[in-house]
Amino acid sequence: MIVKQVFRVLNMYCSTCPMRLEAIEDELPGIKRVKASYAKEQMIVEYEETIVTEAQIRTAVEEKGYGLELKTI
Amino acid sequence: MDILIAFITGLTTGGLSCLAVQGGLLASSVAHEVETSIAHGPKQQAWQTRALTARPILLFLAAKLVAYTVLGFLLGGLGSLLQLSLFTRALLQFAIGLYMIGTALRMFNVHPIFRYFAFEPPSAVTRYIRRRSKLGASVVTPLFLGALTVLIPCGVTQAMMVVAMGTGNPLAGAAILGAFVMGTSPVFFTVAFLATQLGSRLETRFMQFVAAVVLVLGFVAIDSGLNLMGSPYSFANLSQAWASPAPAQPSALSLVPTAPAARPTIQVPAVAITAIPPARPTVQAPADATRTVPPATRTLAAPATSIVSDPTQAPTVASPTSGNTILTINIIDSGYQPAVLQTEGGQPFQIKLVTDKTSGCSRAFVIPKLNIQKIMPATGTALLDIPSQPSGSELRFACSMGMYTGKIVFK
Repeated sequence: MIVKQVFRVLNMYCSTCPMRLEAIEDELPGIKRVKASYAKEQMIVEYEETIVTEAQIRTAVEEKGYGLELKTI
Repeated sequence: MDILIAFITGLTTGGLSCLAVQGGLLASSVAHEVETSIAHGPKQQAWQTRALTARPILLFLAAKLVAYTVLGFLLGGLGSLLQLSLFTRALLQFAIGLYMIGTALRMFNVHPIFRYFAFEPPSAVTRYIRRRSKLGASVVTPLFLGALTVLIPCGVTQAMMVVAMGTGNPLAGAAILGAFVMGTSPVFFTVAFLATQLGSRLETRFMQFVAAVVLVLGFVAIDSGLNLMGSPYSFANLSQAWASPAPAQPSALSLVPTAPAARPTIQVPAVAITAIPPARPTVQAPADATRTVPPATRTLAAPATSIVSDPTQAPTVASPTSGNTILTINIIDSGYQPAVLQTEGGQPFQIKLVTDKTSGCSRAFVIPKLNIQKIMPATGTALLDIPSQPSGSELRFACSMGMYTGKIVFK
């Protein structure tokens, strides 16, 4: 099942950080779409939960130097 | 504006402010190469890493130079079709100023709301770049991002874009923007190269310094906008008024009753003024300091009395010969001489502009109130016909970027 999750991203320091974050679209299998925003300090991830887990997404983001918090809509 | 000035502007202010706005794009174009070099790890020599870092920066800057030169060409062409009014230019300066202040506050991390002052490339664009770079075309990324900076010009660049448009000539516009971007390139290269070598703590410090510079430039841009509107409240005009008191300004000797016209807020027809005695009591000043005319005999048409106590600060007073008054303004690289002039109100006069090997932007002379714009040659003279101005008023002039100012005071 495809899940859509909104995360608050910490340490997003520049306007091209979203570019780096959106790259996990191609790096992690199961990620359908990533839309990150510097202004809103958040990223919206659509992923197939049977293929990739939230923990894996968190690790991938942290490896890029950012923090991730689950955001309640 | 000279190409050299555009280059120097780029080298000094432009480099830092543009880096603040476009630095992110440059960082991401360099990041790919740096990540690649890290991935290759110890197999690479230090010089190889440096070369890998330098290559995308150079590609980025080359693409940026080409993109802006083309933009300058187009703007120059557009300028030949469309002449920006002084008011539009002033509004543009305000917008530039606000954008720069917002950018600086964002960089200082004052409040998350200022994050909206950053330009974020659309997802479709970034996705395209990412896919292209993944295909192994790593040359494409910095080239593309370099060209993309056209979409996010910094405040100083935007001012240069206006100048390029103002030339009204495609080749001159291309030369202005090309020279400007060439000027910014050494700063971009040095900072980007060092940033990858210095580590994040120093980079943060440096970006805070850049933010401070951008903040100052933002206020300068707003000040220029005020000057272009002919506002007396710009920093330049306020400091000018403070440094050299004009007749309208109160001073130790201004208790001497001058013509009612010395009160600029009161605009009464000349006929009425001649009949009105001065409202304030007469205080006779020493005869050698000022020469007064008995109030009863004074009319607006009579030459007003100079009340400036310091002769070195005295504004230039025009020849009182009515009908053919010519005020001479010498345009030098650092502004206008004299910056404050004085003449009779209520009669038309002429301004004689004189340049002598002048290369500064002061050559582009404007009078906002009358919407007069005159771009002077490096050496030459020009006469401007100025219609009659009411006594007691002031006519402000400036360069077309609002950097240098002056005024004519009407007695």
